[in-house]
Amino acid sequence: MCWCTSHFEFGLQVKVMARIAFLQGERKGQENLKQDLVRRIKMLEFALKQERAKFHKLKYGTELNQAEVKVPVFDEEDKEKSFDAESLTNSTNSNASWKQGRQLLRQYLQEIGYTDTIIDVRSARVRQLLGLQNQTDDDNRPLVNGEQTGKRPSETQGRRTGNKKLTSVVQSALAESEESVMSTFDFLSGEQVVDEDEENLSDGENEENGTADDDDEDRLEKRRTKKILGNESMADQGIDEVLTADPETEEALAEFDFLVSESGEGAGEARSQGDGTDWEKKDLSPSEDWGVDQQLISRLTEQYRKERQKGKKAIQQRPKRSTLQDMLVNLGNQDDSSVQANSVSSPRAGNNMTSLDDSGEYDQEELGDYGRNRVLGVAGPEDDALEAALGLGELADLTVNNDVDPLNYDINSPKEAFRKTWTAKYTLRSHFDGVRALAFHPVEPVLLTASEDHTLKLWNLQKTVPAKKTSASVDVEPVYTFRAHRGPVLCLAMSPTGECCYSGGADATIRCWNIPNSNIDPYDSFDPSVLQDTLDAHTNAVWGLSIHSSRMQLLSCSADGTIRLWSPGTKSPLLNTFRVEEEEGLPTSVDFVRCEPNQLVVSYSSANTYIFDIETAKQIIMLESKQENEYFLSPLESGVAGQINRVISHPTLPITITAHEDRHIRFYDNNTGKVVHSMVAHLEAVTSLAVDPNGLYLLSGSHDCSIRLWNLDSKTCVQEITSHRKKFDESIHDVAFHPSKPYIASAGADALAKVFV
Amino acid sequence: MANVILRRNRPGIKTEDWSNWPDESFEEMDSTLAVQQYIQQAIRHDFSSIEEILTPPEGQDEGVWKYEHLRQFCLELNDLAVKLQSECNPETCTQMTATEQWIFLCAAHKTPKECPAIDYTRHTLDGAACLLNSNKYFPSRVSIKESSVAKLGSVCRRVYRIFSHAYFHHRVLFDEYEAETALCKRFTTFVTKYNLMSKDNLIVPILEDMPEPGESEA
Repeated sequence: MCWCTSHFEFGLQVKVMARIAFLQGERKGQENLKQDLVRRIKMLEFALKQERAKFHKLKYGTELNQAEVKVPVFDEEDKEKSFDAESLTNSTNSNASWKQGRQLLRQYLQEIGYTDTIIDVRSARVRQLLGLQNQTDDDNRPLVNGEQTGKRPSETQGRRTGNKKLTSVVQSALAESEESVMSTFDFLSGEQVVDEDEENLSDGENEENGTADDDDEDRLEKRRTKKILGNESMADQGIDEVLTADPETEEALAEFDFLVSESGEGAGEARSQGDGTDWEKKDLSPSEDWGVDQQLISRLTEQYRKERQKGKKAIQQRPKRSTLQDMLVNLGNQDDSSVQANSVSSPRAGNNMTSLDDSGEYDQEELGDYGRNRVLGVAGPEDDALEAALGLGELADLTVNNDVDPLNYDINSPKEAFRKTWTAKYTLRSHFDGVRALAFHPVEPVLLTASEDHTLKLWNLQKTVPAKKTSASVDVEPVYTFRAHRGPVLCLAMSPTGECCYSGGADATIRCWNIPNSNIDPYDSFDPSVLQDTLDAHTNAVWGLSIHSSRMQLLSCSADGTIRLWSPGTKSPLLNTFRVEEEEGLPTSVDFVRCEPNQLVVSYSSANTYIFDIETAKQIIMLESKQENEYFLSPLESGVAGQINRVISHPTLPITITAHEDRHIRFYDNNTGKVVHSMVAHLEAVTSLAVDPNGLYLLSGSHDCSIRLWNLDSKTCVQEITSHRKKFDESIHDVAFHPSKPYIASAGADALAKVFV
Repeated sequence: MANVILRRNRPGIKTEDWSNWPDESFEEMDSTLAVQQYIQQAIRHDFSSIEEILTPPEGQDEGVWKYEHLRQFCLELNDLAVKLQSECNPETCTQMTATEQWIFLCAAHKTPKECPAIDYTRHTLDGAACLLNSNKYFPSRVSIKESSVAKLGSVCRRVYRIFSHAYFHHRVLFDEYEAETALCKRFTTFVTKYNLMSKDNLIVPILEDMPEPGESEA
């Protein structure tokens, strides 16, 4: 009995021990997996660094400081791979490292398998070593793309000798106690491989590099021709690679679902990321020399990418990928941005926004379309865009998340209509001094400008001056000049019907004009009835005007400290007058609150903004921004540092947006009076704001000579355009969206107005 | 950034504070519009000190100097046109005349037309605005072709007729305007200094050494 018990106990003990051993093995396996993941991340990083170095070399003919680039596993393979990978140099590079990762993974999984029979450490180790060796060879096979076979043998030989060395090291290690070997083995073998490759690299580096350069040159050429001729085959090949790779993975790693899907994702991710870099590279390389149609290429690349996406989706429908995918996305983004920062000559280095130089044209095309289509909601292109987004499947999410990431823009750029961006089209030259304000006709391609030269001018964008053949923009001459103000004209408002407009001037008057037909002969006879009325209750410069969208009501603010509400065209047009305490300084800008028909919002030079009830003339709320003025320009200027230059009401939401002298744009909640968002928007004072009719995009103008288009949702800049020159310290006075047509405009101190399409 | 003066007419300022900032020396003006800035600064300083206004900074290209001054004249003539609009109507001034000697035809049309004086005034200023801003003749405000500089003379001749019409037909208005701006005096000095018009055409006796209109016609 006793014996029985002890025997039973012993049996139990054995079982428990076996169980413990099993669990330990499993744990080790998990640890290895973790290590592997880390390693893979490192490898991806390395691949990127290497790519950067290579690019640097190609571009400048000098080596990047290689000391920085730490070489992880299977570096040579990377290199070689990049040579034979048709057009997708970078992507295959990442792909190669993925495969290495997969191989390592498989290796570790085998380890897990062996833990069941962990008692025989020796045999396990031998098999492990064999496995390592076999796999190295096995794994090379799918990578072979024909051309490289010539190079293979020497390559593989090098590796074999490396492995032999490894084997001897391991064997010597076997002399030690099994326990200690067990604990150190994994670490050791990993290290060995790395060391080995490092050595190999340093040996071969010099000779390799010489040929590498040449190869790369050739490759560049081949790549381009290949692209034009055989895009289809290229695409197929790409897909095949993914397709063949995946079942294999599936087989080997069946039980680690999440890992498989992750690695599959990883491949896709790496590839698309690679494509991005490739694009970048194309952008920078002297592509003109090859006479290649870049747009065609991009379109085909895009097509290919989509096909691949579909192919991948067809075979891969596994859950749980989201977490790791996110991780990889983050990683990718980080790398992207660092590439961005590192490529000094990149036209958009360190900046998501584009400038409108002729040289940057290609660049803009890539970026700008994005914002454009969203702003305008143009029916045709929008639908296309939607389709494109849907076609992208999961990647569509990615794009939205990384809106500002320039590399992601090309994902959405295949459609011609979609590629359109804001570019300067019309230059309105005829004013003799700074243009202070501009306003579009509600329907027609017609606009009005008000200038410090005491005039207003009416422009018909369909009446252009025959332009110089070299310039991309066309000049417009005005069809009518409004003369009545006896000083600079400072502000402007167009009636919702487009029949009348109102202008306020430094002469304290508000003039009401009947707008002549936009097809009028510019040299027609003078018609005094164009000047319909003059509102002259103000006693100092009129700085702001706003017209109600449905009622015939006009708001004005003046340096006399008052806000006035008018009903132009009636017998006693002045309806009401609003004021605040003198300590708020002078009103600078005024607007109707668009979503509350009985409210107005007015900003002061004190940096505060008030909302009034129009009926009762009582203040409803103060939108305060005084306390956060951290930017003082100088003791002399401190009084105006936080001054608000423009206030506008969001067309649909209870939000007020202000443009400040301290370079900020601030967003307020009309109900709480609190700042909901504050951002340094320009390099100098922000002077003007305009929201597109759909309320999705914001346009700002600044004395830093640029206008910027902002996504109101993400508060990110979608496009920057350098537009005007400086006169004294002023540059841009006003910006505007056309209420119904795809036009934006800017008014400059350089006496010009510009219209962008 | 310590003592940087930003020369801006910020929204909200009173009319009397317009451009009321410390003078900037021409050397410090790095803008492409430096000449315009310089001229406007001098005018704001004292519109009646014509010598000072018409003295170019050292080394200033003469073509640009003349061009920018002519722009400024046309700019300021807008105010004279505004005044004329209230008084000079097509019924009373059916033609552009100064003395009885000439009827001026309006060059703004394909075939020169006998426009009423107010139309002539407006058309001439509009035409000058288009020409002086033309990308073809004046693509840059920093350097100007000789052939384009030659165009300035004809602009001067036409623009001068606005002064002469106002002087001979709307004398009260003219005197009022001249008191505010001294523009005709400056213009006459300008075209004489740079030889942009012949002395015979300068019929408004605005300068001290000019003969009275009665005498010249006698």
